[in-house]
Amino acid sequence: MGNIINLLPVLLFLVGMLGISAYIQRTSTENRNKDFAKDYFIGGRTLGGFVLAMTTAATYSSVSTFVGGPGMAWIIGYGWLYMAIVQVIVIFLVLGVFGKKIALIAREIDAVTVIDVLRARYESNFLANLSALVIVAFFCSTMVAQFVGAAKLFEAVTGFSYVTGLSLFGLIVVIYTTIGGFKGVAVTDACCAVAMIVGMCILMGGMMTVGGGFDNIMEYISTKHPDMLEPLSRGKMPISLYISQWLLVGICTLSLPQSVVRGISYKDTKALHRAMIIGTIVIGAMTLVATWIGVLSKGILTDSLKAYGSVDNIIPIAIVKSLSPFWAGVIIIGPIAATISTVSSLLLATSSSIVKDVYMNIKGEKGETLSNNQVKIYSLAATIILGLIVYAIAIKPPTVIWQINMFAFGGLETAFFWVLIFGLFWPKANKYGAIAAMGGGVLVYCVTMAMKIKFMSLHQITLGISFSLILFLIANAMGKTHDEKVLRIFFPEKFED
Amino acid sequence: MKRSDKFRQANKEARATVLAAAAVIIFWCFAGFGLADSSITFLHTPLWVWTGCVGTWLFAILVTLFLSEKVFKNFDLDDKKEQK
Repeated sequence: MGNIINLLPVLLFLVGMLGISAYIQRTSTENRNKDFAKDYFIGGRTLGGFVLAMTTAATYSSVSTFVGGPGMAWIIGYGWLYMAIVQVIVIFLVLGVFGKKIALIAREIDAVTVIDVLRARYESNFLANLSALVIVAFFCSTMVAQFVGAAKLFEAVTGFSYVTGLSLFGLIVVIYTTIGGFKGVAVTDACCAVAMIVGMCILMGGMMTVGGGFDNIMEYISTKHPDMLEPLSRGKMPISLYISQWLLVGICTLSLPQSVVRGISYKDTKALHRAMIIGTIVIGAMTLVATWIGVLSKGILTDSLKAYGSVDNIIPIAIVKSLSPFWAGVIIIGPIAATISTVSSLLLATSSSIVKDVYMNIKGEKGETLSNNQVKIYSLAATIILGLIVYAIAIKPPTVIWQINMFAFGGLETAFFWVLIFGLFWPKANKYGAIAAMGGGVLVYCVTMAMKIKFMSLHQITLGISFSLILFLIANAMGKTHDEKVLRIFFPEKFED
Repeated sequence: MKRSDKFRQANKEARATVLAAAAVIIFWCFAGFGLADSSITFLHTPLWVWTGCVGTWLFAILVTLFLSEKVFKNFDLDDKKEQK
């Protein structure tokens, strides 16, 4: 059992997050009374550049940025850092490719979610429901995995039990997401991103002190582990792994719906341009520092992997070894911030899929419209219930969650990659292509993942994305191009001069 | 700016962004793998780590600065407001 004093920094931070959300809820009462869904799920399209950048970066970087990645860097060395740095493209890519177009279209059709946009583009409720299913399944398993990762880290670093940690930040993030809505999520995300960077810098400083400085640690590594200084790490980092990672955590992240939805949320084009720059600075700095910490911890944790158990134990042990309990209690805020900023965005996106994309649409089909007050009650209820379910599952997660979670990242990318790109940039794309690409692509991806089938030892994302493309093109040829009415919304440049 | 022109501009920006990402990938290859055999070290850390990791980050920042200054244009996202 740890000392309660060491929990104070985390507690203060979490209470701060609650305070921010409560404040945002109070200040947006008026907007929420006007159009609840628009304010709650997309923040009324008012995000500025800084918050847009920080929320996109914080949602993207998760507990594995702090634990799994640096742990691997401890084994592999600088090759892992070199591979991780591919993530510098993720923010400007998604904002630059989709940001403006989706913002223009969302304003035209009054869209609040990515699925709203897809439904309007492909005129298919089936595709919309399939998208919602993919989002709910993969987001929920990701949230559970995030909670578990952070709670384990919390236990290892503070000495308090797994359930104590999970209940502490798990329940708070559910509450603040429910009351703060999208704007609350965005602003707390920005705070989380700052907390992550500060936490990493403190840890880096502590490790330098214990290890006798950067130069000293590097001298040790270059004498004892020269393989860690080579990009291929003497075969531990094959070229195929680099190519896989460029796709999986680089280019294909373009289509992650939790990132794309941020294109609907910002205020004006200036905000978007600023966010691209700030986001690239921030995501690069986080990746560099976090992964570099992993490499340098080799100078502090000098035993073999067996002595430490697993890769995921490296960073917790490094924290305990290089910082006093008080400072360890401070920097644990970093990974917790990374976790809650990912969970908050996913939770809100999941509840918007259920309430807005599925439930409200079913009601709309029957000709019933929900009052603003009903939308409010259902949205708040869906968010909190879903959050509590995820929390409950995380207490003792069943194996099936891990299996789904393994497929989640690449599965989401496969599902939405071509559907979004062709939907927004290719007028001839139709719903048959989209449905085949999403359904077939995810199926191929999950089956090849489960059966460990690889092509040229590349990650299964290459198979998922390739099959998804082929299926799109084949099925698309069988369908008809959509009506001019739809195309005018999405491709006005093809009709007017 | 007319709505169709905004879409033309958005398409142009999307293409430029893809090219920018390709430029970062090419830079990354040369700055990392390309310099991996160099025996120059700084603080006992080989040159390719500095150029391939820190350098790629700085290069990506320059690329986004270029995009936002030279390629991306500001316009009003709400055309309904304009028409009224």
